[in-house]
Amino acid sequence: MTRQKVKMAFIENESSRKATYKKRKRGILKKANELATLCGVPVGVIIDSPYDLTPEVWPSREDMDNVLSQLQRLPVMDRTKKMLNQESYLKQSISKASETCKKLTKENKELEMKEVMFDCLSGKTSPSRIEKNDLGACGNVIEQYLRNLNRRIEILSKNDGASSSSVHVVASTSVAMPIVELGSSSTAFCDMIRQQQIQSNMNQNVGSLDLNQQQW
Amino acid sequence: MVRKSKGRQKIEMVKMKNENNLQVTFSKRRTGLFKKASELCTLCGAEIVVIVFSPGKKVFSFGHPNVDCVIDRFANINPPNPRQHTDIQLSEARRNAIVQDLNNHLTQVTEEFEIEKKRTEDLKQKRKNSHMRENWWEEPIEELNLSQLTEFKCGLEKLRKTVTTEACKNFQAIVPRHNFYGGSSNNSTFGICDDHTDNIDTDLDLYNHQRMVATNTFACNQHNMMVPYHITSPFGNIANSNIIEGFAPEYNQNPNQFCFKQEQMSECDQHSAHPPRFGHGYY
Repeated sequence: MTRQKVKMAFIENESSRKATYKKRKRGILKKANELATLCGVPVGVIIDSPYDLTPEVWPSREDMDNVLSQLQRLPVMDRTKKMLNQESYLKQSISKASETCKKLTKENKELEMKEVMFDCLSGKTSPSRIEKNDLGACGNVIEQYLRNLNRRIEILSKNDGASSSSVHVVASTSVAMPIVELGSSSTAFCDMIRQQQIQSNMNQNVGSLDLNQQQW
Repeated sequence: MVRKSKGRQKIEMVKMKNENNLQVTFSKRRTGLFKKASELCTLCGAEIVVIVFSPGKKVFSFGHPNVDCVIDRFANINPPNPRQHTDIQLSEARRNAIVQDLNNHLTQVTEEFEIEKKRTEDLKQKRKNSHMRENWWEEPIEELNLSQLTEFKCGLEKLRKTVTTEACKNFQAIVPRHNFYGGSSNNSTFGICDDHTDNIDTDLDLYNHQRMVATNTFACNQHNMMVPYHITSPFGNIANSNIIEGFAPEYNQNPNQFCFKQEQMSECDQHSAHPPRFGHGYY
């Protein structure tokens, strides 16, 4: 059961508006209460509308007065620093949401380019077929991957066989990476390679891999 | 099916014990409360003020039309002046229009975000399902041994070369165009692809504006086809762009000859013990 999405605009229908107002007012007061209780902080809410004879004050008039006097006691700077109205609040929300969205778009691009990179390596596609606008992002992903590879190689080389034998080796390395030439069609070649690939996920000792035994 | 986390849990309505959690909870719930308040104002036209003190004694407040106005009325300090009534109405109408615009904008951004989230899901799912992992180089780096890593590195470096060549081909095709200052039509050619901006939109948000500025710093003198030295890459403004960092072939005077910033000579160029691994006639 999914809820209907509400359009963020003034509700034209009088009765719906009134009903919504009542429900949401109740909800806000509940949330305010939870915030005050869970975090042990002073909270004050005033809600006023044509539907109420007198403004709704929470927690109570006295408590609200306390909150207000606490507020007045603060220097103007502190009081107004985090003061928001709808306009400023919405602008803030928009920029936060945009930031998050931007980040996500970037991450998605990287994921996508990683796929493209792998596809190039396995011959499914070639750099000439990459979207012109994506070449930069793709290049960067490759660069990043290479950096990680180099780092890893450095680590393993330092340990010099002592720990590398405990490295969990995936599949078999008697398979070459079919790199695609610029503009060449390499499907036949890749198929040949693929036929020779052994699909196993086993622990192998590095020493038992004989790289010279490749069949071409 | 084993659940990763317990999901939403009911919590006791007492002050939280853990200080850090308390702070986080405060932040999140305060934001949520303000969001609800803002929605109430938009949907029902109510006036509201919410004042919250943080655990660190800082005060946060939200008010519609504004905090002081509502507080004053509550405290009966300023009874509404009948003469000001029309002025108030006008400014209110203007304010509402602005707010409506902002609300629409927020809705739009939120939708875009949802789309991107879905895209992440799809991409991750695709990776999961992809071709039974028959290619060993697609496994996590930590699971590869040294020789695999070296071979992978070779292959990847070659790929990098081809990609760079492609990119430079692109760049050369673009360079002859007249200068880019103030031009907007080229901003989608380099760097990040943006499907939204085909025209200059006067209402550019900060992100797009920055991106256009970065792209347009590709200064290209109409009379001199040589690319200025500080502009080094077909991938966009290297210095300022996070996305492109680290990937910059350098241009000499002649754009046809470029040298790569390579940290070290690739090992595979020196291999002789192994038979050629990669396709016939490859480089």
